[in-house]
Amino acid sequence: MSFVFSHVTKRFGSVVAIDDVSMRFEPGLIYAMIGPNGAGKSTLVNMAAGSYSVTAGSILLDDQPLQHLKKHQIAQAGVARTYQNIRLFDQMTVLDNLEVALAAADLRHTWREVLAPGYARQAATRRRQVCLQYLREFDLDDAADAHAELLPYGRQRMLEIARALVAGPRVLLLDEPAAGLNSAETESLKHRLLRLRRPDRVMIVIEHDMELVMSLSDRIYVLHHGALLFGGTPHEVQANRDVQEAYLGTDDDLDAIHELARNRRAGRRLRDETGAVRHPA
Amino acid sequence: MASVSLAPGRARAGLRLMRLLPVAVVLVLIALLPQAGLYYVRLADDVLIYILLGMGLNLVIGYAGLLDLGFVAFYAVGAYTYALLASPQFGIHWPFLVILPIGAALAACFGILLGIPVLPLRGDYLAIVTLGFGEIIRILLNNMNSVTGGPQGVMMIDTPKIAGLALVSPRGFYWLLLGLCVVIGVLVLRLERSILGKAWAAIREDQDAARGIGIDTVRVKLAAFAISAAIGGLAGVIFASFQRYVSPESFTFNESILIVLIIVIGGVGNILGVITGAVALIVLPEVLRGVAQYRMMAFGFTLAALIVLRPQGLVPRSFGPARLMRWLFAA
Repeated sequence: MSFVFSHVTKRFGSVVAIDDVSMRFEPGLIYAMIGPNGAGKSTLVNMAAGSYSVTAGSILLDDQPLQHLKKHQIAQAGVARTYQNIRLFDQMTVLDNLEVALAAADLRHTWREVLAPGYARQAATRRRQVCLQYLREFDLDDAADAHAELLPYGRQRMLEIARALVAGPRVLLLDEPAAGLNSAETESLKHRLLRLRRPDRVMIVIEHDMELVMSLSDRIYVLHHGALLFGGTPHEVQANRDVQEAYLGTDDDLDAIHELARNRRAGRRLRDETGAVRHPA
Repeated sequence: MASVSLAPGRARAGLRLMRLLPVAVVLVLIALLPQAGLYYVRLADDVLIYILLGMGLNLVIGYAGLLDLGFVAFYAVGAYTYALLASPQFGIHWPFLVILPIGAALAACFGILLGIPVLPLRGDYLAIVTLGFGEIIRILLNNMNSVTGGPQGVMMIDTPKIAGLALVSPRGFYWLLLGLCVVIGVLVLRLERSILGKAWAAIREDQDAARGIGIDTVRVKLAAFAISAAIGGLAGVIFASFQRYVSPESFTFNESILIVLIIVIGGVGNILGVITGAVALIVLPEVLRGVAQYRMMAFGFTLAALIVLRPQGLVPRSFGPARLMRWLFAA
């Protein structure tokens, strides 16, 4: 299995958001994409998931180009994502939020479900069992019948990740999964994400929490102004002078990070980001 | 001790009986209604037709969350299908039970025909285009003189026969409509609970996120339009066979609005809401005959008051048939 960005470029009008980025993702590993705001991380995720078109280059899943597929076809091909701003089906129950993620495979049997009560019961039970297993994994089983909008913020984040997992994706894109979580929630998120590693699954996490990034990921891609600056293990990234200077180290960029941090809810993350600079592990 | 522990049990049993009583009364009323005067049976027929229409439109508005203001077009397609295939207009006299599925299928085709251009639209824009579609169909019927008889409509439509039995009185139609309402009601309920129903709900909540989990929103929306239109077509076939006369006048924009109102006032996305809404909106103007010339004004005020006081509708979405059953039997 392979997931590859090959010379991907994205232009919005005259603005070049992503400039000729090539990345390779191996299954079984957790990748982090880091870089200051505007570096193009979310743009890459949006292109991979089909939310944005690809201006040039290609995104390949097992050598199959994804960039010409429709969004739902990309999802059906095995690419699942979460969103920077949580997007759940608010008025549906927690369980239904997961069940509906199995729709792509089950929709073709709708008429059997409607006309044959036995089959319908069987299909519903099968779906429920799969979903309950994920709900348990994310400690959400006690809230299965609650409307998603009623969950506290941290649990909504977990539900969104669970929904992305239900259909068994081969590529899991997590856009700032720790945003807005407190430190205990972030810690448990880390352990859950580590458990989600599969030999046939690529995991890609966009994250600003450097402590989390360093302890979670096997490989890190550093983006800067829409270009790929560096790729390597957390150790290599921390030791790399270019990265330190261009992204983390110089005073100008530190200012940018401070600015960025002010716009975020948790002041804690500011310490993490700058802390990672000053005290490389 | 024994009497202490028995008392709540008895109270519960009494409570259950109290709750079942209205159900029994309603069932008896439904069974005895045809014995009432023709005026009442005709009124009940009207209510049942609008329940059918409401259930159909509710799939699109209530479940998939797409505001369709041209639903009457599918009602018209069904009605004219029967009118043209069972009348002296072309000398064709096909049996009712053959035309019933044809009318539904034809309406479903029109549903897809409407669905395709409006797929990318939502909210107000969707409402405007569907409204236009409804008007186009009505004007077509009005102007295609050679086929539809134009403004004069189609007359002397055949009396429907089911298993050799001619349906002539409103009483016969009462049972036909009641049976069809039950069948369609069960189908709609099962659709709501199926994976398609959940996909509709997901589209209603967040169309983009629905695509993101692999739902082909195009096909799922078209399914809503087609099934909804098919139910409208069924209602149309029965309407034409009941009236034995159709003209474009029966399919104006007002009719679409009335069906939308039934859903909104009754409770969006809920079969019990549709039933309540249809009973309220069809019976109310009749009750208000007492105030003669102020009738429509009183009707309007009542509707406005209902919307202001109960924006979620008479029956909230959460109080569905399953909740009702649990409430009745699990006390």
